[in-house]
Amino acid sequence: MGDRGINAMKLTRLSGSFRRFIGIGLLIVAWQALATFNVINPFLLPPPSRLVATFWDMLIDGSLLIHAASSLERVVVGFAAAAAIGTVLGVVLGWWPAISEQLIPVVEAVRPIPPIAWTPLAILWFGIGNAPSYFLVFIGAVFPVFINTFAAVRGLDRTQVNAALCLGAGPRLLITDVVVPASLPVIFPGLRIALGVGWMCVVAAELIAAQSGLGYLIQQSRMLLQTQVVLTGMITIGMIGFAMNAGMVWLERRLIPWKAGGPRS
Amino acid sequence: MSERKDVQISVRDVAKRFDSRGADEGITALSAVNLEILRGEFLVLLGPSGCGKSTLLNLIAGFLKPSSGSILHDGAAVAGPDRRRTVVFQEYALFPWMTVQQNVEFGLKAQGMPQRERRGVARDLLSVVRLSGFEDRYPHEISGGMKQRAAIARAIAPSPDILLMDEPFGALDAQTRVLLQEEIARISAETGKTIVFVTHSIDEAVFLGDRIVVMSSRPGRVREIYPVELARPRVAAMRVDAAFRDLVDKLWTSLRPDWRAETGDVAQPA
Repeated sequence: MGDRGINAMKLTRLSGSFRRFIGIGLLIVAWQALATFNVINPFLLPPPSRLVATFWDMLIDGSLLIHAASSLERVVVGFAAAAAIGTVLGVVLGWWPAISEQLIPVVEAVRPIPPIAWTPLAILWFGIGNAPSYFLVFIGAVFPVFINTFAAVRGLDRTQVNAALCLGAGPRLLITDVVVPASLPVIFPGLRIALGVGWMCVVAAELIAAQSGLGYLIQQSRMLLQTQVVLTGMITIGMIGFAMNAGMVWLERRLIPWKAGGPRS
Repeated sequence: MSERKDVQISVRDVAKRFDSRGADEGITALSAVNLEILRGEFLVLLGPSGCGKSTLLNLIAGFLKPSSGSILHDGAAVAGPDRRRTVVFQEYALFPWMTVQQNVEFGLKAQGMPQRERRGVARDLLSVVRLSGFEDRYPHEISGGMKQRAAIARAIAPSPDILLMDEPFGALDAQTRVLLQEEIARISAETGKTIVFVTHSIDEAVFLGDRIVVMSSRPGRVREIYPVELARPRVAAMRVDAAFRDLVDKLWTSLRPDWRAETGDVAQPA
């Protein structure tokens, strides 16, 4: 491919992101216009200019960061526990069918219960504060991690396992150097989904069972009739969720370089 | 070959049946197989698909257990896979998350060899299979032929007694295949290791083997064993020898009915 081809490619990519930008830009302009000409009630849906000002104010006075930080802390703790327990359980149950036969029905019975439904119990068990949020994030995040890990280990390439065995691998080397890395390409998307679910769960938990965090901020502002803060909180949640997902995608590329391109071998 | 038989692997009256769910009687892959593999020989298992040659190899490797009969390695029953019998697979089965170097080191790491030492051993082996300079590549970054060279180096690394090769060149293009045949002939001559080699290519069998075990299907069994009277080391020029061509013709004639049956081409006259 010559320079011209590469340039053409860059151009298409540029115009691609530009087109996406146009979409969002038009939406914002239309929204602002509708509010300015009083077509929509600015109390029910504050215009973008108001949101930017609110966002800026809350950023400067630090309140937004404090709420975001406590939400993040909760999601990190709950997600870490879910990732650890979910992968270990997935590997164990995936590797030993005798155990999974007993436990899979239990998992399948608990899994369909929405994390929100656990909230009353979470408050009863852990009170108000960080603990119920940790728990709800954990409940939401543990199943995607477990399910993907379990499927990955179940679907291991038998030939690769055989190759490792005939080369003299013991159980420990087999798990650390073959089973886990072979499963990573399937485990990782599970972790990414789990983090997204965990983020949703923490906001839901904070609506009810916390005194800080972005969920709490939204709930409190609703009661104070500060619609612009409610929306600012929602947009912040969206942005952080987007950033976390992008971070996970980046980490996935770094940790699984052999999946970067080309066929399996 | 020496006068006294030095038997390394002994396959005694082995049968292998696979249970298939639903069907009352499973599939009989192998029936009444007896075979003695001598130390240092290059033994080829040849036959049409479905003759159980790969099953037999998997039994010798210890990946499968015989339904009846026994397989002995130096007099002791094979209980499972171990590093005295390493395998080279048709689809390479390299670990894609490891570099070529790490793949070759795997069997040494399993033995507990210190990192510095195994690095040296792996580098030497990679130069034997002519992969120097590709140590830090991942398998998906190299060609099929190179992958199979790496897999061969990985299988030799733990210094096994026997190298088991399951249609190792089956997925490669014709040119690469010929080059790797010459390579494995060289490696076998240099290391003197016992090699059991599964193939359905007659040319490959004659070029590489000391003895060719012809198997036939349904159920898989050993039909005939042909010695190959060609000098070692095998070199490309031998492919036009009269002895080479004669044996290829003989094997063709012997196997033709099986291949016919396999392709459904029964009615056509010879």
